[in-house]
This record gives sequence, C-alpha cells and structure tokens, in this order.
Amino acid sequence: MFDPQTMLWLIPGLPLLAAIVTAALGPKLLKHWSHLPTIIGSAASFVVAVMLLIGLAGTQGDGPHVAASGYTWFAAGAFKVTLSLQADTLTALMLVTVTFIGTFIAVFSAGYMHGDDGYPRFFAVMSLFLFSMTGLVLADNFLVLYAFWEGVGLCSYLLVGFWFQKPSAAAAARKAFLVTRLGDAGFILGIMLLWSQFGHTFEFGPLFREAARQADNPYVTVMCLLLFCGAIGKSAQFPLHVWLPDAMEGPTPASALIHAATMVTAGVYLLARCTPLFVLSPESQLYVACTGGLTALLAALIALTQNDLKRVLAYSTISQLAYMFLGLGAGLKHESLAVFAASAAIFHLFTHAFFKALLFLAAGSVMHAMGNVIDMRRFGGLRKLMPITHWTFLCGAAALAGLIPFSGFWSKDQILEAVLHAGETHESHYRIMYLILFASGLGTAALTAFYTFRAYFRTFWGREKVPPEAGHHAHESPTVMTVPLIVLGIGSVLVGVVFEAFTHGISRFLARAIAFQPLHMPLPVHHTNWLLILGSTACAVGGIALAWYLYNEKPLLPLGIAHMIRPAYELSLNRFYFDEIYTLLVVRPLETLGQICRFFDGILDGIVDLVGLNPRLIARLLQPIQNGLVQFYALVMMVFLTAFLTIFVLWLRQ
Amino acid sequence: MIPLSNYLIVGAALFVLGMIGFLTRRNLILMFLCAEMMLQGVTINLVAFARAHGNLHGQVFTLFIITVAACEAALALALILMLYRRGHTLDVSIWQTLREPGQEETVDLDAPPQPPREEPLPHLTPAGTAPPAGDREESYV
Repeated sequence: MFDPQTMLWLIPGLPLLAAIVTAALGPKLLKHWSHLPTIIGSAASFVVAVMLLIGLAGTQGDGPHVAASGYTWFAAGAFKVTLSLQADTLTALMLVTVTFIGTFIAVFSAGYMHGDDGYPRFFAVMSLFLFSMTGLVLADNFLVLYAFWEGVGLCSYLLVGFWFQKPSAAAAARKAFLVTRLGDAGFILGIMLLWSQFGHTFEFGPLFREAARQADNPYVTVMCLLLFCGAIGKSAQFPLHVWLPDAMEGPTPASALIHAATMVTAGVYLLARCTPLFVLSPESQLYVACTGGLTALLAALIALTQNDLKRVLAYSTISQLAYMFLGLGAGLKHESLAVFAASAAIFHLFTHAFFKALLFLAAGSVMHAMGNVIDMRRFGGLRKLMPITHWTFLCGAAALAGLIPFSGFWSKDQILEAVLHAGETHESHYRIMYLILFASGLGTAALTAFYTFRAYFRTFWGREKVPPEAGHHAHESPTVMTVPLIVLGIGSVLVGVVFEAFTHGISRFLARAIAFQPLHMPLPVHHTNWLLILGSTACAVGGIALAWYLYNEKPLLPLGIAHMIRPAYELSLNRFYFDEIYTLLVVRPLETLGQICRFFDGILDGIVDLVGLNPRLIARLLQPIQNGLVQFYALVMMVFLTAFLTIFVLWLRQ
Repeated sequence: MIPLSNYLIVGAALFVLGMIGFLTRRNLILMFLCAEMMLQGVTINLVAFARAHGNLHGQVFTLFIITVAACEAALALALILMLYRRGHTLDVSIWQTLREPGQEETVDLDAPPQPPREEPLPHLTPAGTAPPAGDREESYV
C-alpha cells in the first residue's frame, strides 16, 4: 500500500500535521472538536506503525530495517548531518507502543479535558508530543535524536505547565525543564565525544561499527556515562528524579502520556539503542544497574507513604523505569546476555506503557469524579460507585505488582532473570554486586506490590467516602473515558501472555534489531527459571496480602506502625528530603551567587550610566539654543558666518 | 566708467538690507521678500564681476539664480498660504513647535500694538421705510 519510506515519514508526520491543524484552527474553528485531529492523526499513525511492524516481522534475515533518507540538515565540508529516519524492530515496537497509548490517552482526554479553556492548546501540544517522540525513536543519528529529545522536553514543559495560572504548575514545569536540562548537558557532551572518537559521524550504524573496532578506546566508559547522564535526566533516575513527582501538576492525561508512552521512556530507548557501546564498558553497565537498583528501591520506599494517588503512581513510574535500567545494566561483556537484558528492558517498557497509562487514566477518572480531589485520605470505597474504573484499575495494579498472568509479571521476571544471569556468569566482585542488585530487585517487587495495592484498597475498598468537592460528579465517568480504560485494561492483562509468555515473540523480534546486530551473537536462549517465578510471585502475593491485611482488615494498624517507626515514616513521607537537600545545596548557593552577580552588575551599570550621563549633561547646556524660532536660527547662522568669514579673510591677508 | 567697487557696494547694501529685514520682520511674506532682496544683492555682485572679468560666467550664474528664485517663490508662497490657513496669521513666531522638548515657548513680553478698531461707517436708513421705533432718535443724529 505504502512504500516503506513514505511510511516512515507518515508516522511522525501525521501527528505533526494534527498539531499544526489544531493550533491553527483550534481556537477559532474547531473549539470543542479540537480533539479530532489529534485522535485521527495518532490513530492513523498507529495504523501505519503496525503495518511497519508487520512488514519488519515478515522480513527474513538479520536486522531487518527500513531507512528513509531525508534532506541535509546542515553540512560543513565533509561533515554532513541529514534529517533521515530509520526503523528497525526496536523502533517499530516503540512506535506501536507510543502511538497506541497516545491514541487512547487522546480519546480519554477528550472527555477529561472537556470544557477547559485551553482545550485546543492541550491537543495541539499532545500531538506535538507524539510527533517528537516518534521522531526520537525514528532518528538515525545522534543529532536528530537530540533535536527530538529536546522537543520531547519542550512538550513536557508545556503540558506540565498547562495550567500555568497556578504558580505550583508553573514551578513544576520549570523544574522539569531545568532538571532534565542538567542531564541533557551531559548527553550532548557524550555525543560530541562519540563524534570525535569514533569516525566523525553521528549516524548510529557507522558509529557503532567504528566503536566495535576500537573496543579498547579509553573514553568508552566516559561516553557511556555521559549518555547515561542524559537518560538519568529524561527518565527521572536518582539523583535527577525530583522533577517527575512534581510533574503531577499537569493534567492527568498529560501525566499518563509523560509516564507511559513518551518522555521518560526516551532514556530507556537511548540506552537500548546504544547497547553496542555499553557492551564495551562493563563498568558503566554496573553503574547503570546500580543506579537502577538504588532508584527502584528508593522510589518504592517513598511510594509507601504518599497519600496522593497520583504521587504514588509517579514514584512507581520512577521505580519501574529504574527496573528497566537495572535490566539495561545487566548485559556486561557477555553479548548474548546484553541483548537479552536490553530486550527485557524494552519489553518491560512496552508492558509498563500499558499498565501505567491505564493506572494514570483510572486515577484521572477517580479525580474527575471526586472533583479534582486526589488525596486518598479523603475518599474511599469507590468500587460500587465506579465499577469500570475499579476493575480496570485492579488490572493495572495487578500488572504493576507483577501477578502471574498479567503483563507486568513477564517483563519484570525477564529483568530479574537477566540480573541473576549477570550475577551467575561473572567474576567475583561483579558477581556480588549483581546478586545484591537481584535481591534489591526482588525486594522492590514486593514493595511495589504492597504500595500499589495500598493505593488500590484505600481508593476502592473500605467505607464509601466521597469528598464534598465531588458534588454531582460522584459517579462513573462518561463512555469516552471508560472505553480507553477498558482497552488498556485488556492490554495490561493480555500483552504479556499473548506476545511473550510462551512464544517469546517480543524478545525474538527485538533481538533482530540492528541496534543489537553488530554484536553478532546467537539469539538468546530462554529457559524457564521456576525458582525465580516462584520467588517473584511470592513477593508479589506477599505484598498484596500485607496491603490487604493492613488497609482492608485492620485500617487502624498502619497508623500505629507509622507511629512506632516515626523517623523512617517521616523520611519516606518527605521523600527522603531530596527537595530540601537540593534546595540547600544547589538552589540556595546559586541564588546567593545570583544576588552577588546582580550587585556587581549594579556597580558596573552605575559606571556605564555615569559615562552615559556626560553627553546628556552637555546637551542640557546647549538645549536652550533649540527654541524653535526660525529667526533666531537665522541670526545665529549670520553671526557665526560673519565671524567665520572675518577670521577667514584676516587669515588670508597674512 | 563706473568702478567695480560701486557695484559691489550696491550689492552689499542690498544684501545687508535684506538680511536685516529677514532678521527683524515677522511677517512671512516680508521675510520672503527680504530673502529675495539678498539674492538680488548677490546677483549684482556676480554681474559686476562678470563685467570686470569680461566673460559670461557671472551672467550665466545670475540667470541660474533668477530661475531658482522663481521656483523658490512659487514654493514659498504656497507654503506661506498653507501656514496662513492653519494659523490665521502671517506671524512667523507662532511656529515654534520644533523646539527641544522641555524648552519654554518664547512669548512676547509686551504684545505688539493692536491696530485701532475702525469705526463702522455711518449708514443711512433705507429709503421709503420707517426707521425702527427704538433707535429713531439716534439715527437722525
């Protein structure tokens, strides 16, 4: 139907077109129909992406891919950057995920954002977001990827600060932008270093081939860490994770989009794309894995005590992204393991996109019904009131907790398996580190199950409690909002079983990505590790049972426990005081520096102003001459002309 | 033969008279005429030098000046007309708006003497009709 090149251009092109149409016609013409271009654009983009995926899956041989060469962005001598796209299996899977989730979030938003003043603006930015994200995964060189990377950052800024009239939303948007920018600084440095070391090119293929040839390049670890720096910022890992919980200030569908399909997954994608590079540097892999393990545990611990439903989900996103990084860091030098680990991480990204979008949209549905109240202490027992939201939230929660048939289980299990492999197959000190990481991963899984079901039980079980703000809204959301929930709910339940569980379809598909091709390894072998399955299931069930016991059976017990371990509870409730520490260590000194600079600037300004005052003073003296009287001007002219002529004539005489 | 200096003296006298007139009169038309007079002073100079040198350069210049002066007259009179329509006076001192901002307007300390009000001419009552009753007495005085 389409030739592959056209398809590649259509996938980001359609959302871009939708964004332009919505932005141009929305406020005047489309008004409350502004969601149509976005929905149509992203749905069409999804259809094209699926066609691309099927096409790639049908192609035989190693590394099936499609490339579309674009126009030259800029060129200087032999150095040339082209705006061209390429799609391999990794890209295709990302594209399908992004456009599918994006479409249903757009449908949900049509109901959720109904009546908002910025209705067209929301959908325009959302389309732009999908454009940036699809462009990011389609980019075939680092500079184009970086451009779209920043585009994603811009769109998240616009969406987080969507209600910019609220000071907290404006601050959150600024924080999101600045904190991710910190990581981006490292990222661009990494790109430059790659360019200077590996053949003066930005294109993935030649660059990674060159890297494989210079495997002992001393800068490899530095490059990997710099690239990871960008991923830390974008994907909200420790120590730059602080922006993500604040990003909850945006509308809930925007949070769903940022957390599930776009933005935060960019970092994971980047690292998966750079697998050939990371394989060269086990040290940086260990660092990635440690960051992942630490962040996963930290975020899970914080999520335990949050009272804001959306914040619980935000910390669970950080924790799950950290899981993906834990997986990405488990490759080490073992190449087939690297592919297994990276595809496990991308698979987790895929399933996570479904259940996290679902959880956020369900939270949005709850919020919609409760009159924008999101504090779990103020509502409860909503399962009778909102049956569809309840059931879909349960599906999402079960998937996040990693219960056995649900999608989250399969992907989480693969990551843990990869980490365990890394621990088993490597030499002494790596071995210990990875076994510790494996243990912390299991612990995190248990914590995840606990806090997810804590949120679930507090929201949907217990005595029915509705805050007064809800008014007449306290009922199930309209169809336009429940349909996406149901679709994503089915997705959360099934994607793992259907695509991976017995066929390993996704792993096999991903392993053929050209990102993994330079490694020349046999396809990874899967073997079912029953002990691991039992262990992780036990963790999940234990967490859920504990949550059920504490929040459904004995609702007063948590208070008692919180009182008993007050310092730990406070630490978790206040998010380990990260914001306060950063304020003290970074924000305050910078502010002081700013004040000093401002004072110094004032002094300089004063000196310059003083110099600038001179001409004005002189002008002030001469001003009375300009009195507007024609005859006065004539008189002055005559007098001075006469004087001049007299002097001139006298001078001539001599 | 009249020496060159006589011509130059006449020219200089015309020029200086014109200049004094230009600087002292406020009537736009008079100022313009004074400027014309200065030009004539200059042309006399030129013609005199042309004669003294025995060539036609000065005369060519003079003709040129006369042409330019004619054009200038047309423009100047048109401008003066427009200024009169705007200000309803030919006084040049009312056009002071192009002075520096913040500069006080120059005003005359004692206003120029107003022309005496002209007495209306006495007119007779129209023939054949009775004068209005009210002012019968006065009308026959």
